[in-house]
Amino acid sequence: MEALDIDLEESEIELPTEPMLLNVGPSHPAMHGTVRCVMELSGEAIARVDVQVGYLHRGFEKMCERGTWSQVFPYVDRCNYVSPMLNNVGFAMACEKMLGIEVPDRCQWYRMALGELARISDHLTCDGAMAMELGAFTPFLWMVKARDMIWDVMEEETGARLTHSFGRVGGMAKPPTDGFKEHARAVVAQVLKIVEESEGLLLGNRIFLDRLEGIGIISAEDAISLGWTGPCLRAAGVPYDVRKSNPYMKYAEVDFEVPVGQTSDCLDRFLIRLAEMRQSARIVYQCLDRLSDSGPVNVDDPRVVLPEKSGVYTTIEDTIRHFKIVMEGLKIPAGEVYSYTEGGNGELGFYLVSDGSGTPYRVRIRPPCFQVTAGLEKIITGQMMADVVPCFGSLNMIGGECDR
Amino acid sequence: MPSFKLDDQQIEFQPGETVIQAARKAGVDIPHYCWHPGLSVAANCRMCLVEVLPPPGRPALMLDVLRFDEAKGDYIKAKKPKLQPSCQLQAGDGMEVKSQTSEPVREARAAVQEFLLLNHPVDCPICDQAGECRLQDYWLEHSGKSKRMKDEIVHKPKAVDFGPTIVYDAERCIVCTRCVRFCDEVVKDPVLDKRERGNLGEIVLAPGRQLDHAYTLMTEHVCPVGALTAKDFRFKARVWFLRSVSSVCVGCATGCNSYTDFDPRDQTVYRYRPRDNAEVNQFWMCDEGMLDYRRIQEARVLRPRLAGQPSTGAKEAIDAAVELLRGVRPAVLLSAEHSSEDNLAVLELARALGGTQVFFTGRPPGKGDDILRHPDKNPNRAGVLALAPNAGDYQALGAAIQAGSVSVLLALGSQVDGDAGALGGVPVVSLSVHEGPISRAARVLLPVASWAEAQGSYVNAKLKLQLSERAVAPRGESRPASRWILELGARLNLSLSFSKPSEVRGRLPGASSVGAGAPV
Repeated sequence: MEALDIDLEESEIELPTEPMLLNVGPSHPAMHGTVRCVMELSGEAIARVDVQVGYLHRGFEKMCERGTWSQVFPYVDRCNYVSPMLNNVGFAMACEKMLGIEVPDRCQWYRMALGELARISDHLTCDGAMAMELGAFTPFLWMVKARDMIWDVMEEETGARLTHSFGRVGGMAKPPTDGFKEHARAVVAQVLKIVEESEGLLLGNRIFLDRLEGIGIISAEDAISLGWTGPCLRAAGVPYDVRKSNPYMKYAEVDFEVPVGQTSDCLDRFLIRLAEMRQSARIVYQCLDRLSDSGPVNVDDPRVVLPEKSGVYTTIEDTIRHFKIVMEGLKIPAGEVYSYTEGGNGELGFYLVSDGSGTPYRVRIRPPCFQVTAGLEKIITGQMMADVVPCFGSLNMIGGECDR
Repeated sequence: MPSFKLDDQQIEFQPGETVIQAARKAGVDIPHYCWHPGLSVAANCRMCLVEVLPPPGRPALMLDVLRFDEAKGDYIKAKKPKLQPSCQLQAGDGMEVKSQTSEPVREARAAVQEFLLLNHPVDCPICDQAGECRLQDYWLEHSGKSKRMKDEIVHKPKAVDFGPTIVYDAERCIVCTRCVRFCDEVVKDPVLDKRERGNLGEIVLAPGRQLDHAYTLMTEHVCPVGALTAKDFRFKARVWFLRSVSSVCVGCATGCNSYTDFDPRDQTVYRYRPRDNAEVNQFWMCDEGMLDYRRIQEARVLRPRLAGQPSTGAKEAIDAAVELLRGVRPAVLLSAEHSSEDNLAVLELARALGGTQVFFTGRPPGKGDDILRHPDKNPNRAGVLALAPNAGDYQALGAAIQAGSVSVLLALGSQVDGDAGALGGVPVVSLSVHEGPISRAARVLLPVASWAEAQGSYVNAKLKLQLSERAVAPRGESRPASRWILELGARLNLSLSFSKPSEVRGRLPGASSVGAGAPV
C-alpha cells in the first residue's frame, strides 16, 4: 500500500504545537499510591499541572467514630503505614491529654525509642525509593534491608512487622522485652553503617546529583503558607520540629539537633532525611540508656487500662474492669483536644471531640502528607517531565495519610 | 421551699422527703442498691451513706476506730464521722450533706463495694445482667480496686428454680431484699423471704410455695444485680446490643408505660421493661404485659391471602379487595386491639365509600386485679369510641349480618369478643396482625404491622392518650394499616383526608397534646 503522505509537500509536514495533556496515575508506579497528576506539557516542560488526591478513600475518620477509643489504634496504624508506631503514640497522647493522665517514665522512654526507630524506617523508605526511582537500585535494596532490621525489632516487641496496633491509651500493649535494648542497639549500629554506605554510593554519583540539585525548589514562605511541616519544611530552612519547638514526652531531656537545608531542592530533602536518621539514632541510644528495666509501663487507672488476664479469669473485680473497658469502651470526659507530635513526615495532629461516652464523637486527623502533597503542583510546575519523579519522591507522599 | 446542701448543690425538698428522694428529684443520683423509689426503706446495702455536718456550734458525732498505719506497720487509734444512710435520712432545712466530696464517704462506699464483691462469682460473661448491673457500674465509679482476698469464695446455690418465670442465683445475690419487699408490699403475696446472715444470707421461697403470682417478672426487674433472672430472657440477648424505644403495653386497658428493647441487627424485640409513670403504672408491669412482646413475633399474618389460597401477592390482594369494595357501602368493624391511627384510617375508607354501619370488637375480657391488670384486654377501647361514639358492638354486627343488611365487611383486627362464626355469612376484607377469627373469615386478608412496628396512640381506661414508638421494621409483607388504606383509596379513586401515613395522627381527636414518647 502506498504511503498516505506521498503527495505532501515537505513544507506541509509540521509538528503540532498545541500543548499536550498527559495523565499520570492514579495507578502509576511513580505515583506512590493513588494520586493522579494531569499535566499540560509544552514539549517536555510542564506548563500546568493538576494534582488530585482522593483516589484512596476508606472513610477512615468515620470508621474511627463507630468503635471504642481503643479500637481506633488499628486505623491510625494505617495512616502512615511506614511508621505506624508514631501514629499510635500520637493518638494515645491525644486521648491521654483529654483524660489528664501522664504515662510512667518507663513508657515514655519506650515510646520514644520505638518512635525514633519508626522514624528511621520511614526515612529509609523515602530515601531508598527516591534512589530507586532514579535508577539506583542497589541503595534501595540496602536501605530496605536496613528497614527490615528495624522491623525485626518491631516484630520482637509488638508481634507485627508493619501494623503493630501497639499503642494503648495510658501505656503500651506490653512492656519492653528482655532483649529489647541489646537488639535495638545492635540494629541501630548496623543501620547507620548501611546508611553511610548507601550515602557513599549516591552522593558521589554525578547522575544522581544532577537529577536532584536545583530541582523542585520551594521558598520557605510558600512552604509555610502551604502548611508544610517535617523534613520538607526543614529542607526549606525552617527549623520547625515539634520535638524541639513543643517538646512532648522526654524530648526536652535528650540531645539532638534539627538539621535544616539551604536550597530547598530535592537534594536538600534527601539530605535532611539522611541527617535526621543519624539524629534519630542518637535519640534511640539515649532512650535506651534511660529506659529502666523494671517498673510500670501503664498508668494505674482502672477506668483506662485493661487488667492482667490472669486476674480477669479468676476475680470478679478484674472481670468487671475488663468488661467495662472492652464492652463499653474507656470513657473520655466530654470536651475537645488538639494534640500534635512529630510524625515521619511532619506535624501529625489529632483533633478529637468526646461526648463523654466510650465512642469518639469526632476524630479529625491533620496528616503531614496532605499538606505536603498539596505543594507538589507548585514545585513541579515549570520543571521537566522527568523531574516529576524525584520531586514527588522527595515529598514522601503516603497514600494512607491523604485519605480524605 | 425548704432546702439542704448536698456537696456543692442546693437541693429543695418537700417536708417528709428523704435525702435520696430529694436528690433524685433534683437529678443527683446517690449510689444505692437496696433503696427503690416504689418500695419501703430497708437501708441494708449501706451504699448510700453520706456524711451529715453537725449544726453550727455542735460537735460532730465521731466514732473511735483503728486505722492501719503503713509507716508504723501497726493499727493506730483514729476517729471518723458517723455516716448515715441517705435513703433513711429525712431531709431537714439548712442541712449540710456531703456525698462524693467526703473522704470518709468515698472510703465507706469503696469498702461496701469490696464486701459485696468479696464472694461474687466470676459470672459477668454468662450473666444476663452484665451491661446493666449496678455491681459493675459502682465498682468502676466507687472502688476500682482489685481483689485482696486470697481465699476461695463462699459457694451458694446457683440456678435455683423459683417458679415458672424466675431463676435465682444465690452467689450473685447481695441480699438487698428488694424482691422480698416488692412481693410483700406491692403484690401483697409474701412468697419470698431472707434466710441466714452475712455471707451466708440468701433469698428463699416460702415453704411449699413457688414464685407464681402475676408480677413475678418485676422481682427480676427490681433486682439490681444478676441474682434473679427471667427464664424468658435468660441467654437470649446481650443487653449492650439492644436499643430501646418508649412504648405503651397493649396487653390491657391500663396502658402501662414500657420500653421496648430490640436488637436492631435482626429487628427482633427481646423484652419489655416498665417505664416509670406515676399516673399509670408507677414503676411496675404485670407478667402478662411483660411477656406480651412475644405476640409481636408469634401467630402473625405475614403475607396477603385470598380465601382458600395459602398466600398471594400484594397486587393480587389489592385487586381482589378493590373488586369487593367498588360500588358498595361496606360495613366497618373497628378493633380496640389497634391504635387510633389504624382505626381512623379504616374508618375513613369506609366513610369515603359511603359506609355508615360502624361496629367494633377486640380481644375477649380476662382477669383483672386492683394493682395494674385491667379485665379489658384491649389497649384502645376508649380510643375507638372517641373516633366512633355510636359504634355498635360485636353482637350488633352479628345481628346486622343475620338480618342481611351487611353487603361487605371491612374489618380491622384479629380477635373478636363473641361468636367467631358470626362472620361466616358475609364477604370480609380484613386487615389483621395475627391469625384469628377475623383472618380465618377473610375473603381478602391484608397483613398489618404490629404495635411495635408502627407508631401509634392508645387511650387507656382512664382516658389517657399515650403514644407508643416504632421499634422494629414490619415483619414479612405487613404494612401499617394506613398504607394499605391509602393504596385501596387510590385504586378506588377516593379522596381521603390524609395522603401519607404520618398525617393520620394529626387527624386524631386530642392528638396534638401528646408528644412522642412523652411520659404523659
